[in-house]
Amino acid sequence: MSAETAGPETLGSLSNEPEHQDPNSQQAKEISGKSPLRIALGRLARDKVAVLCALVVLFFIICAVFAGPISKLFGVSLDTGLASEYVDGLNNGLPKPEMGPPNGPFTWDHPMGVAPRTGQDNLAYWLYGCRVSLTIATSAAIFASTVGVVIGLVSGFLGGAVDKVLSFFIDMFLTIPFLLAALTLAPILNERFNTSDNYSTIQKISLICVLAVFGWMGTARLIRGEVLSLREREFVQAARVMGMPTSRILFKELLPNLAAPIIISISLMLPAFVALEAGLAFLGIGVTDGVSWGQMILDAATPVYFRDYPQYLWQPMVGVVALVLSLNLLGDAIRDALDPKTRR
Amino acid sequence: MFAYVVKRLISGVLVVTLVSMAIFLLFWYGPSSPAQPICDRETSNRCGNKIELYEKTLGYDNPVYEEYGKYVKGVFVGRTLTIASNDYECSAPCLGVSYRTKQPVKEELVKRIPATFSVAIGGAFLYLLFGVPIGVAAARRRGSITDKALVSSFLFISSIPYYLFALLTWLYLTITFEIPLFSETGYFSPIKDGPWAWFSGLFLAWVALGIFGCTQYTRFTRGAMVEALSEDYIRTAKSKGLPTRTIVYKHGLRAALVPVVTIFGIDFGTLLAGTIFTERIFEIQGIGWWSLQAVQGRDLPVVQATALFSAVVLIISNLLVDIVYSVLDPRVRLS
Repeated sequence: MSAETAGPETLGSLSNEPEHQDPNSQQAKEISGKSPLRIALGRLARDKVAVLCALVVLFFIICAVFAGPISKLFGVSLDTGLASEYVDGLNNGLPKPEMGPPNGPFTWDHPMGVAPRTGQDNLAYWLYGCRVSLTIATSAAIFASTVGVVIGLVSGFLGGAVDKVLSFFIDMFLTIPFLLAALTLAPILNERFNTSDNYSTIQKISLICVLAVFGWMGTARLIRGEVLSLREREFVQAARVMGMPTSRILFKELLPNLAAPIIISISLMLPAFVALEAGLAFLGIGVTDGVSWGQMILDAATPVYFRDYPQYLWQPMVGVVALVLSLNLLGDAIRDALDPKTRR
Repeated sequence: MFAYVVKRLISGVLVVTLVSMAIFLLFWYGPSSPAQPICDRETSNRCGNKIELYEKTLGYDNPVYEEYGKYVKGVFVGRTLTIASNDYECSAPCLGVSYRTKQPVKEELVKRIPATFSVAIGGAFLYLLFGVPIGVAAARRRGSITDKALVSSFLFISSIPYYLFALLTWLYLTITFEIPLFSETGYFSPIKDGPWAWFSGLFLAWVALGIFGCTQYTRFTRGAMVEALSEDYIRTAKSKGLPTRTIVYKHGLRAALVPVVTIFGIDFGTLLAGTIFTERIFEIQGIGWWSLQAVQGRDLPVVQATALFSAVVLIISNLLVDIVYSVLDPRVRLS
């Protein structure tokens, strides 16, 4: 397989940039010193949508990392006192007027209001929900892409029986719908760990594992295809002739050439995992300790609350939609920037 | 052709066997004690050492292969299940007895199938009804403003998580604006409650599922059409002076539809196996809704049965897709 037949996401043909004008001009000299990744970054920086999305993602990352200091700054916390201090039991458990919307004016004590029935502060729960969402999505993406890269590398490079067996597993996992698998595993994991002391930590770790176990196949396929074309290249053959051990060829020679497909597969995974984390929590089979956007949505989507207090639903909803949307569009822009063939 | 079908059927049976084993083992070794939920339920959470009685009568102290044998036998000829001191008759195909209702799981599963299948068939119909024509239209106007607007707006819609899209549709149309057509979502039997109740109960779910899913089909169809329309035989057809309609629909669309039909088959199978978010949000009491309830009620036999049912539906639909594909594209079965 030559570079031309390799998938559209190869870095191999980046050198065919049609920007070569006069080799003596000032511009040509500047371009000649750029690495493929720097070219891609330059393209990203020129893409207005990508820059905007990157800023939105950055905002969420800041919220997640500094959830503690930010909530201190506003004087809110996850600890809630007596619920009856905040909510009006006679009025469907909606917040009291002095707690802000929907019945009262805006107050700095609770900038985003308090939750009905429990009286939890929405801002604090939103910030920590953002942290949970991003932590789970990022760790699952790292875990899944590691598994995918290793399996794709081994399967593509060794070929033969190993490739057949691994490809069978890739295809088998691809046919399992994630939601059904999660729904089946949820009660089993619950029955195994529900008596344990740190149940909520175990719950998050198993959620990460489940996301990763059903999320690695795309990466593995992509990497396998790439490796199939890379392993016939001269530099790999040279390494073989020199007697380099296979593991060294895999991780020192091939892996650096796979940067683009790995970045692409992570950019595909992150928005999917953020959406799934909230979705599972919404179904009641993900995080169940209350600190999750999905659970806020589940609570807020009760018709009684939604009629009188739609802001309560919009807060986590905007969080999930803005994060998933900007991660998706950013991922799209990254794919375009890394792909020399697309021109917008 | 016949040999190919037989080969695929045999591999399908093999996969079903393996999957049933995997699910059985998962529910056997997964929970710390599989009898705990029923014991907690029957003793109002004061299970203590009565767990041994439950484990013994449910057969959890026997070797796993022996119990798997009994399970398989139950599926084919039925069996009598004992829980503590009560016997439950479970006729073939026996998938266990629900911990909550003490009824055979199969009976309730059969009752829930029409709801899920109605959602799946209606949604999938809208996928194709909207997806394919819009995709063809976009491909014909490739590069124009209409095409660009369609592609980017569909990219935008499909970037939003499906369940939030469906949830907002339901909340605004049913709760806030109280549109009469959508006032009562859910599954109503077309025979008992009349076809209109059935239609209006499911309409919103179909629309949400259809609009969201058709964006994907527009993308597929557009891609396949663009490729098909750049083939040499299209140029030949044009140079012969054939009318545009014939070129696009007869020569182009026929070639472009093969991959779309394959993807559609797989998606349709997945929908039949369970439309969990749709059923949860629109309160349609199908298989997905039921198994969610079972998860919350720690009703392990129900979850196990729905998992097995979904897996079998998926395997059968994938098998059918393979066979249909081999009819549509004869190159497949030769390789």
